[in-house]
Amino acid sequence: MATKTVKVDYIARVEGESSLKIDIRDGIVDGVRLSIFEPPRFFEALLRGRGFGEVLDIVARICGICPIAYQMSGVHAIENALGIEVDAPIRALRRLLYCGEWIESHALHIVMLHAPDFLGYPDAMAMARDHKDAVERGLALKKAGNDLLTLLGGRAIHPVNVRVGGFYRVPSRAEFAPVEESLKRARDLAIETLRWAATFPFPECTRDYEFVALRHADEYPMNGGRIVSSAGLDIAAADYETEFLERQVPYSTALHSVLKRRGAYLVGAMARYALNRDRLPAEVRALADEAGLDPVCRNPFRSILVRAVEVVYACGEALRLIEGYERPARPFVPAEPRAGVGYACTEAPRGVLFHRYRLNAEGAIDDASLVTPTAQNQDVIEEDLRQVATASLDLDEDAMKANCEQSIRNHDPCISCAAHFLTLQVNRT
Amino acid sequence: MSGRARPRVLVAGIGNSDRGDDGLGPAVISRLRGEVPEGVRILECSGDVLALIQEWAGFSTVIVVDAAAPLGQAGRIHRLDLTGEPLPVAFACSSTHAFGVAEAVELARSLGRLPSHLIAYLVEGSRFDIGAPFSPAVAKAADRVAERILVELSRISGARQPEGADRHA
Repeated sequence: MATKTVKVDYIARVEGESSLKIDIRDGIVDGVRLSIFEPPRFFEALLRGRGFGEVLDIVARICGICPIAYQMSGVHAIENALGIEVDAPIRALRRLLYCGEWIESHALHIVMLHAPDFLGYPDAMAMARDHKDAVERGLALKKAGNDLLTLLGGRAIHPVNVRVGGFYRVPSRAEFAPVEESLKRARDLAIETLRWAATFPFPECTRDYEFVALRHADEYPMNGGRIVSSAGLDIAAADYETEFLERQVPYSTALHSVLKRRGAYLVGAMARYALNRDRLPAEVRALADEAGLDPVCRNPFRSILVRAVEVVYACGEALRLIEGYERPARPFVPAEPRAGVGYACTEAPRGVLFHRYRLNAEGAIDDASLVTPTAQNQDVIEEDLRQVATASLDLDEDAMKANCEQSIRNHDPCISCAAHFLTLQVNRT
Repeated sequence: MSGRARPRVLVAGIGNSDRGDDGLGPAVISRLRGEVPEGVRILECSGDVLALIQEWAGFSTVIVVDAAAPLGQAGRIHRLDLTGEPLPVAFACSSTHAFGVAEAVELARSLGRLPSHLIAYLVEGSRFDIGAPFSPAVAKAADRVAERILVELSRISGARQPEGADRHA
């Protein structure tokens, strides 16, 4: 019996620390284990006993790339527990803030992390020598997103301006002027980036995912909507734990989430697009068509195009929201402590982010649960890897490693968030 | 300096103050606040190192301050001129984010966006746990790095330092 193990000791160009082990027995991929060795950070335990007003500054520290997602799921879950409805202008301002995070996070991943895979470069530094304009576009897009986060969140990394009931401070109309100009340019850069990415060579790959995303009555989902799936799931955030299960696996510090009734599922840009393409403006759908995206994309290697479409959308949506902005009469609605349980899902750049908090009568957190997009995609990433590794069996080990790493990056995993980078080990026996 | 453009200098301290010795960069910036000559901008960078490439546009000289992984002597200060040379492999960052100082510098070099002079002060750390305090050796090194940067800034700008700077000189 011939066995072989392929091992990648450290997966680069993903956020966090992980390794990959592939066991090959008699020419067949026998086992795939994406092992996240970043230590668990126990944020859920850290939140216990804290006042509800402290939560948003704590959860913003979970991730430097997507702090807004944690703040948005957190604030909506706490407001759900406290029975707070925010004013419409505050809701619009939160959507605008989320646009900033989608722009900066997607731009970083598309240009700096994922594009080198398609163009045959080891990293963005090498790619920049031959694709200077594309990298400059990526940096400018990222800056436009960060500028929006700085204006609304107080700072780009771990922002501090979101509070239960609204914001600590809301900007004046005049303060949007420089950001508005930056976003107009960013929208053009985003369209150029989409057209650039559409020229990449994409490996053939079709996966039969169950897509899970939020769906809103009339918006492309960010801060609200029901949890729906391509297999007919349609539930409120409060029912999330009825349908989904987080479980431990012995080889990783990250939890793996499954649909209790059907197993693995995919969240993120591909799922959002598949389930909500009709919520995109016609001009954005036309650009997606021009880029060669089908209404439902099942090739994970083409996820880079979906993210690029979402950047175009987020720039346009941000401009729409700024155009309609009127400074809210009050920056926040008051929040009084009361006992209760609150639930919320929002769409982080990497997909559905679930938060649940149980508050006591004093408003302190008795119990918290946070389920990250990367934890939800772990099983799908391993299933993708099994398919990609099988298709790469005749390749040498370096080529197989490259294909596997690209496959992982297809889903832009945020390992730090999930643990709570990659070593690839292939065992051939 | 009258009649000549004053050099524009940026000092950027990189790191996370909540992770032990990784807070070296922000700690040095804190020590420099109110002490640097006119024409010098100081900046804390807590996570998005790539943004530095845009932050240093227009500055002729940039000094970055960062903690380094242990190489055998906690608190040892390394001054490196990165204008023409990449950061040595030994100092490549162990960043949980995909881009550290080494990557940002080399990306800027590829894009032709390096400042005319790029200096790095790197201090070997010993503990980077969440919530950990500075190790004593790195706390002392933060003072010494701030002193050396003030001397360097004084020489670069040719300007008289404002009152209070001499206690660091």
